[in-house]
Amino acid sequence: MPTRFKKSLAATVIGILLGSTLSSCAASDQGQSLTIYSGRSESFIAPFFKEFTAQTGIELNIRYGDSSALAAQILEEGENSPADLFISQDAGSLGAVSVTGVFSKLESSLLDRVGSDFRSSNDDWVGLTGRARVFAYAPDRVSKLPTSYQSLIENQYNGKVGIAPTNASFQAFVTTLIQYQGLATTEMWLQKMVENNVKLFEKNSQIVTAIDSGLIDLGLVNHYYLWEVSESLNRQINVKNGFFTAGDLGNLINISGAAILNQSTNKEAAGELIEYLLSDSVQLKFVADTHEYSVVLVDARPEGLPSFAEIKAPSVDLSRLSDISQTQKLLIKLGLI
Amino acid sequence: MKTDTLSGNNHLNSIEQRSSGRKLLVLFSFFALTFAAIPFFYLIKGAFSGELDLIKTVLLREKSLEIFATTIALMSCVSVISTFLGVSLAWCLHNVNLRSNSLLAALVILPIAIPSYVYTYSWMSIIPNLQGFAAAVFILILTTTPYITLAALSALRRSDRAQLEVAQTLGLNKWRSFYLITWPQIRNTVSAGTLLVALYVLSDFGAVSLLGVDTFTRAIENLYRGSFDRSAAAILALVLVAISAILITIESNTRQRSKVISSSNKLMPSSAEINSQRSRFLASLLIGLYLIFALIAPLLQLLLRFISALPGIDYANLFKTALSTIFASLLGSIIALMLALPVGLLSSQASRIGSFTDKSLLIVHALPGIVMGLSLVAFGSELPIVYQTVALLAFSYALLFMAKAVGFVRTSFLRVPKNLMEIAATLNQSKAQSIRRVMIPLATPGLFTATLLVFLSAMKELPATLMLRPTGFETLATEMWSATAILQFNEAAPYALLLVLIAAIPAFLINRPDKSEESGVNIS
Repeated sequence: MPTRFKKSLAATVIGILLGSTLSSCAASDQGQSLTIYSGRSESFIAPFFKEFTAQTGIELNIRYGDSSALAAQILEEGENSPADLFISQDAGSLGAVSVTGVFSKLESSLLDRVGSDFRSSNDDWVGLTGRARVFAYAPDRVSKLPTSYQSLIENQYNGKVGIAPTNASFQAFVTTLIQYQGLATTEMWLQKMVENNVKLFEKNSQIVTAIDSGLIDLGLVNHYYLWEVSESLNRQINVKNGFFTAGDLGNLINISGAAILNQSTNKEAAGELIEYLLSDSVQLKFVADTHEYSVVLVDARPEGLPSFAEIKAPSVDLSRLSDISQTQKLLIKLGLI
Repeated sequence: MKTDTLSGNNHLNSIEQRSSGRKLLVLFSFFALTFAAIPFFYLIKGAFSGELDLIKTVLLREKSLEIFATTIALMSCVSVISTFLGVSLAWCLHNVNLRSNSLLAALVILPIAIPSYVYTYSWMSIIPNLQGFAAAVFILILTTTPYITLAALSALRRSDRAQLEVAQTLGLNKWRSFYLITWPQIRNTVSAGTLLVALYVLSDFGAVSLLGVDTFTRAIENLYRGSFDRSAAAILALVLVAISAILITIESNTRQRSKVISSSNKLMPSSAEINSQRSRFLASLLIGLYLIFALIAPLLQLLLRFISALPGIDYANLFKTALSTIFASLLGSIIALMLALPVGLLSSQASRIGSFTDKSLLIVHALPGIVMGLSLVAFGSELPIVYQTVALLAFSYALLFMAKAVGFVRTSFLRVPKNLMEIAATLNQSKAQSIRRVMIPLATPGLFTATLLVFLSAMKELPATLMLRPTGFETLATEMWSATAILQFNEAAPYALLLVLIAAIPAFLINRPDKSEESGVNIS
């Protein structure tokens, strides 16, 4: 019995070790594969990845997470990072990694697809889709729509507004505020939001869900979460998108984007994926399926939404959104993250 | 197995061999301890890697006080109510004749297979706006009560019924005799269970995260997700570890030597003896209500969701995910057993080094999964060979749950009758030989249970798995989690259901009511 126990234990251990070695060998033998860190959530981008693999035979290993957390991970991993490609849901996370020099320069054939507003000034990341910051609201409960992000500190919105401070898009918005108005003014606004009992959420989609279920009336999100929530609940929801007055800092336009890491041994395949995502047909599919703005085809935008020109977003150099650390420190200090 | 190396040459002087065997044992325990120190090292390194300014900002903000208060309040509420509920359930099952006590006992323990985030997920599907502190208390009570019930039940079964009967003949009522006779006998085991529950609440991630309750684990997660500077998360993690360490110290200091004078309890019939209508009604009501909330309602909800998900189930992925889960957990439990064997053996021999190692491991056990993940990501980033491999994930499972295995290993060795070892010695067997030929074979069932226990815990682990899994490697827990995160409750159901079904097997094997003397809370 004891020897049998030991033998079977030893056999199991050896079996497991062998199995794992073999399977990892098998994985590396099967043609090309790419490792992607994706801050774009699975529900949005997985179908595009699947289609790419089907077309090219390039296998994709995808690690989904929050853009900030994945940026932090790349910063921590440095040259040891197993990632070939970083896809972020906002420009700030790309910028923060870009300044450490771990991204490689992209081919001009990729960069030229995209307008200069939507790519890195260092040529090391490129936008994939465009999105607008909006306030989502319940039309039956909000009679007077806010005209500016600053209105949200008014008493009528007490306890009724939701934000997602860990979310990269929210942090990009706060970074813009700091750039335009300085740290002190921004801190004061955030402080007043806290005093106005702003509700904190982990994700934009949770904010939209909370508006639909009546927990809150309003929330600062990206425009496309309306569709995401409605589609995953498989029904109409009681939430609408609203824009602040043209030119308001709350109407920030941001991008989701991609960058290739320096130490990637498979830059060619990584470039192929970016090229695929920037192709006309895929850009149109982004507009139709995930309801985002195209960064390639100027007029391609989701139905019923104003064009970027109509929104009159604040002119922000997206490459300069990299100082997110300062924003995060402020949010930590105020207890928002 | 490591004990192999202990076997030696027959002809050597037995005293010399004893000391060399012991040295090896100490050496291996030292290895285990070194491994266990890795997360602490990287945690401290992480906390002090950022600007020192940040430590002040993180600790001195108002929010930190709020987090501290919420965590302590949640822990206290859940520990007190779970202990009360768990002991009541155990007392009913032990004393009241309910016709099918052992089946009910098995059912009441079964929720051990259901992790807190599965509970939260199913209860959120039943009550859509379930959020906040009270909800977290409710969910965590459901999750943790079985640990107390299990501990109390096994203590009650070991308790001396003869004394109780004497007390009752002398005119003590049920309450007085419980307080004066039974409670002192089960107190230590129950308080170990309460400690386990308190540590569970401190380290719980799934429930508080889904329910939006700002405890330490959620704050750590938020800092981890929302900031480039990971030192902020590490600072809070260190505070949490300190709280756990204080808790363990308090519990072991308040523990009283149990003054159990065992009489002929083995000869006494141990069947439940209270037959009055009223007691039976109240006991059935309590057990019934608990089972409805903790087992029937959530499982029914999972089943309903599962049925509506049926047409879209990706069976290939479900199967692959189940295999991945079993594979990583199995590897973790084997590593845990390897590390636990020398430590358990050493501490069963009442040595000071053994009990020191034992205590230190308990603090590792108190490391929340999210903290383990945080520090092992930092460790792995410097070691590309293991980074994002199943091996590192399994290693984290082993570290997280090794202390549980050590408890089982030690008790199984302690149960080996001393006289058998003495007989072996008179038959000219060296200590190492008697360990190999007598102790290990007799302890094998216990070692098996230890492995199962780690396996069960590893299967349910979520936060460390989320951080440490290889890219593209999904477990049932992570698949379920990411589906829930994007509100695809139906899609999450098959993974949750399969997780509970697979976890129920070891949970049942470990806690078989007929063998429950071997089970119980084994972290102490």
